[in-house]
Amino acid sequence: MTVIELNDLRKSYRTHRALDGVTLTVGRGEIFGLLGPNGAGKTTVVECASGLRRPDGGTVRVLGLDSRTRRRELLQRVGVQLQEAALPDAIKVGEALRMYSSFYDRPADWRALMEEWGLTAMKRARFAGLSGGWKQRLFIALALVGDPEIVFLDELTTGLDPAARRMTWGLIRDMRDRGVTVVLVTHFMDEAEALCDRIAVIDRGRIVHEGTPDELMARCDAGSLDDAYFTLTGRTA
Amino acid sequence: MRGLGNVIAIELRLAMRDPMAAFFALAFPVVILWVKMRNGGTLPGGLPIIDAFVPMLSVFVLGLASLVVLPATLAQYRERRVLKRLRATPASAGMILGAQWAAHMLLAVLGTALLTVVGLVAYGLGGPADLTAVVLAWVLGALSLGAIGLLVGALVPTGRTATVVGLALFFPMVFVSGALSAWETLPASMRSIGGLTPMAPAVRAVRAGWEGQPVSPLTFAAMAAIFLVAGGLGLRAFRW
Repeated sequence: MTVIELNDLRKSYRTHRALDGVTLTVGRGEIFGLLGPNGAGKTTVVECASGLRRPDGGTVRVLGLDSRTRRRELLQRVGVQLQEAALPDAIKVGEALRMYSSFYDRPADWRALMEEWGLTAMKRARFAGLSGGWKQRLFIALALVGDPEIVFLDELTTGLDPAARRMTWGLIRDMRDRGVTVVLVTHFMDEAEALCDRIAVIDRGRIVHEGTPDELMARCDAGSLDDAYFTLTGRTA
Repeated sequence: MRGLGNVIAIELRLAMRDPMAAFFALAFPVVILWVKMRNGGTLPGGLPIIDAFVPMLSVFVLGLASLVVLPATLAQYRERRVLKRLRATPASAGMILGAQWAAHMLLAVLGTALLTVVGLVAYGLGGPADLTAVVLAWVLGALSLGAIGLLVGALVPTGRTATVVGLALFFPMVFVSGALSAWETLPASMRSIGGLTPMAPAVRAVRAGWEGQPVSPLTFAAMAAIFLVAGGLGLRAFRW
């Protein structure tokens, strides 16, 4: 079953064409990876699909809802972890989770989520005092606090140490096993290879490849996803 | 709405954790009261000055929370992309702005309560004579000045600019509107200018209620009108 349908998505910022006709679909329960060089349009895809940005052209249907007209309804059912976002300096971890959970009609149990993401020890820590890794974990937990059917994770493991990355991968697989659809923006080929059921490679606002990691490697006759990515975009990850 | 109460409670705590906001809203007005009360005495007309200064400074606190702290918080949230993250939740702009307004008004309520207690304990404060009128006047003052604060917070790009604009509105206003110097002691020219500021009806109405004097419905209407216009513009101009 398709839960995300983007059709000929176009978006320009002043003179820069960020998306130049992006079409893709994501099925329920998939971990879908969005790969591409900096500035390729990955974040814009996520922002359009989650209703944060209005595309200039094309259609966005998420969970059968048009993201332009039924944004609020949609936001009850999707969770977003943004690359550039913050919380107030003085807010404590527990307060942030409690506050965000109160925005949703049927939230997840924020205390359980805090436990699951290893944040309980940091419950009384202020946001400003958290290291990058802890902030990242908190953002992921906040993306999940509405008990979403789809989560968009933009540069999920950036700033995490290797152990935390492995832990995060495990939790992402758990999420998928519970039926949550995951859209993952990443720069890390090992991450895409380890986690993603399907991948879209985006370059200069266009999808240059879509398929499973194996298909991608086969198409480029490459030994690793890294090599395949390089062949497709002409750039290193 | 469950979310609203939650956000208000957390935002109030955040404001109290900010040493600058807490000092200016809670301690600073008490210091001013102490300075003003060192000479004691009465105003022209025979009113003991404590009975004028507690209501006046309650509007001072309200103005500070509304015009300086509230826009700075909002603009900083925009600058730091706190609002951007909130936008990715089902929380509406009205809810976020309403919660910010309420939290900052509660900060001003705490400042006012502190002034009242100090006035009662240390300086023999009388009244308020008409509590209902004082509360009504204060709430309308909070709505009108708070709406101006939301409008400033919606228009300025950064927290720093918000503080500058807020202070530029606040300081001249408290001097000429009778919130810092009793209007009885202001020169006539200043009084006529001050009467045109949005802080003046709040000062007039809170003081009148405190002394048990009747308040002109026009004074209340002026505050309601400011609230509707500034609030409407603020909501329209608001960007995440």
